[in-house]
Amino acid sequence: MGDNNFEPKIVAFVCNWCTYTGADLAGTSRMKYQSNVRMIRLPCTGRIDPMFIVKAFESGADGVLVSGCHPGDCHYTAGNFHARRRWILFRQLLKFIGIDESRLFFSWVSASEGKKWVDVINEVTDTVRKAGPFSDYHRINKEYTLNG
Amino acid sequence: MEEYLISFDNLKKIVDGFIKEGSDVISISKNGDRFVRLEKSDDIILNPEQRPSDISAKEFLFPRTEPIFFYCKQKESVEIIDKEPQKRQVLVGLKPCDAASLGIMHRVFNWDYRDEFFNRRYDNTLIIGLACKYVDDYCFCTSVNISPTSTRGSDLFLIPLSDGRFVVQVVTDKGKEIVSRNSQMFEKADPDSGKAVIDSIKGPQKKFDSKKVKEWLDKNFETDLFNPIGDICLGCGQCAFVCPTCHCFDIVDEDYRYGEGRRMKNWDSCQFYLFTLHASGHNPRDTQAKRYRQRVNHKFKYYIDRFGEILCTGCGRCSRGCPVAIDIGGIVTRIENLT
Amino acid sequence: MADLISIVKGILESKKVDVVVGYTRATSPNRTRPIVIRNASEADALVIDSSCLNNLATYLTRKENKGGKVGIVAKGCDVKAIVQLIVENQIKRENVYIIGVKCNGVKKGFEVEDSKVLSEKCLNCNVKTPHLYDELVEMGSDNLSGKDEKAELIAKLEAMSPQERFAFWEKEFEKCIRCYACRQACPLCYCERCIADKSMPRWVETSATKRGNFAWNIIRAFHLSGRCIGCNECERVCPAGIPLSLLNRKMAMVAKSEFGYESGMSLDAPTLIGTYDVKDKEDFIK
Repeated sequence: MGDNNFEPKIVAFVCNWCTYTGADLAGTSRMKYQSNVRMIRLPCTGRIDPMFIVKAFESGADGVLVSGCHPGDCHYTAGNFHARRRWILFRQLLKFIGIDESRLFFSWVSASEGKKWVDVINEVTDTVRKAGPFSDYHRINKEYTLNG
Repeated sequence: MEEYLISFDNLKKIVDGFIKEGSDVISISKNGDRFVRLEKSDDIILNPEQRPSDISAKEFLFPRTEPIFFYCKQKESVEIIDKEPQKRQVLVGLKPCDAASLGIMHRVFNWDYRDEFFNRRYDNTLIIGLACKYVDDYCFCTSVNISPTSTRGSDLFLIPLSDGRFVVQVVTDKGKEIVSRNSQMFEKADPDSGKAVIDSIKGPQKKFDSKKVKEWLDKNFETDLFNPIGDICLGCGQCAFVCPTCHCFDIVDEDYRYGEGRRMKNWDSCQFYLFTLHASGHNPRDTQAKRYRQRVNHKFKYYIDRFGEILCTGCGRCSRGCPVAIDIGGIVTRIENLT
Repeated sequence: MADLISIVKGILESKKVDVVVGYTRATSPNRTRPIVIRNASEADALVIDSSCLNNLATYLTRKENKGGKVGIVAKGCDVKAIVQLIVENQIKRENVYIIGVKCNGVKKGFEVEDSKVLSEKCLNCNVKTPHLYDELVEMGSDNLSGKDEKAELIAKLEAMSPQERFAFWEKEFEKCIRCYACRQACPLCYCERCIADKSMPRWVETSATKRGNFAWNIIRAFHLSGRCIGCNECERVCPAGIPLSLLNRKMAMVAKSEFGYESGMSLDAPTLIGTYDVKDKEDFIK
């Protein structure tokens, strides 16, 4: 993509107990990282309906990150196990539709992994920036709009 | 009615003219399943023996989804923005069952309220009909006051001759205007040039007398006749959506981004359980049998009460496409047999 | 055929079941439609042949049928749906009396051009004799033959770039008219209030825009992942001719390769998404 000023819009669905706290730790530790991510906090990754991911792309996201507690650490015991199953299936479905691993990301980030959060965000942002704006989805979003 | 002769090549040249002047030219798709906008005149298929398309052409006058207006929320107010004006379009090769349907729909869209969305498209549409030689168990145009050679709804009507040319019947002033604008493409035809072909087209055998059917429906609202249908009908929207005369729609407001959205007019079907579901939770048509009763009554009684027209042109699409092979022609025939 | 009719008469007269769902001849000689029979005298209308395309299991989850005992004429693929419904606690095994059909394949569709064509799903069928039944009847053979074009197309799609795949689906979903015939015909779409019909909040755009159609088809495919039993009814009934079986077959392949799971085969199987394994692989998770 030739647009050097392209800054990707990334939506992150994160669980409250691990990833959100980990991100908070990154903040209180004054770690610097790219600021493209908009976070949506949920009690648990098990709450994440794959529809949310679709909605994020419908709202203009260029990339979506889903992040939660490591297996075994879920605050609700098994929420992330259920979520992991869904993701294994859903990411294959989206890939088959044309939304592949340059747009959709998953991670386990615990409450103490502020540094890991920074690394994940930076990696995701760089990958999406390299992939460019998600013009495919932007195009279908534009249909029947004022400037579409 | 004035009649002319035209070759297929000259007809294509006229179509090229439409495309060049910026009009949309719409005809049946290559695989015959729907109507599509053509890029060039060579894509025109005028086969009178072809089965009716799976989906009707009504979406070009009554789109399956259409913005009524857009809205933009500002600090203190909402700005409402209208859609742009309609392009001119030509529908080529419509069978009589499809051409007649547009005039039938026009009645309800100009009744107590003039639907400018429909009218804008209707006024900008030219219909070139084509006589039909196709018959199967599901079509019954001859039972609903239409025939395979009916010019109803067409501006120009084509009758295919065995040498590949067409007799062109000029039905309306709109059609007359096209002929005079392209006069060099047409030859004057002897009167009754198409008579031999018209006489040879028999069409489907008449299945039922619609007057008798209406009489029965007038007197038998509380009937068990539709219960077996209700048992098997899936309650999808297939029949209403492929039908050239069904016109019910739903209006929804959708934000497509924060603070900006649109009001959309979408096709709806009386067979959906949501169709008459009240906000209270009560549903006056709470069984599929009641919903199917509504479909038959609307088409073969209520529309006649209101507009003097049958809301059905006998194209058979709903019955061919129904997932559970419900055949409305068969049902209505059974109703007549009860009288 | 006499076998089927006498079986049905028997179970209705003995009150083993309250109703029987089967097939009967429709308007054209090459079509059948479902029929719900409540009295033994109505059973003479039943038929079973290669034009019996519908998956009658979709009627088992209707409110009016859920309370009582239902007899059902079921081919192997239909029995898979019944098994899956039992696994998902939608019906009880003792409330359904399965008249299994030893099937030689059904037609691709009702139209004249399909009258000798075998449905694609039949080419890979592993339940020609159903794996669960209370009675068994035979379906005659009509010497149908066909090709499986979908397997090739799935491979072709997988080899494309994401943009090419997206363009493929954009072209297909553009045709969708949101009639929901796919949902209504599907035996496993039994939600009393489908998520697509929910407003406040509105999750799935109801308008037949590209965006709305993408959302609808993606979400339906996902809700069926690991559950779809491959009866192909959704694709058959789609008036817009969208190749829905591509999505469902792909997801069935994923369920098989990732979890070794095949839906609708065993009454003792767990549901795929309702359970988890601590050892589920997570190589894609950072």
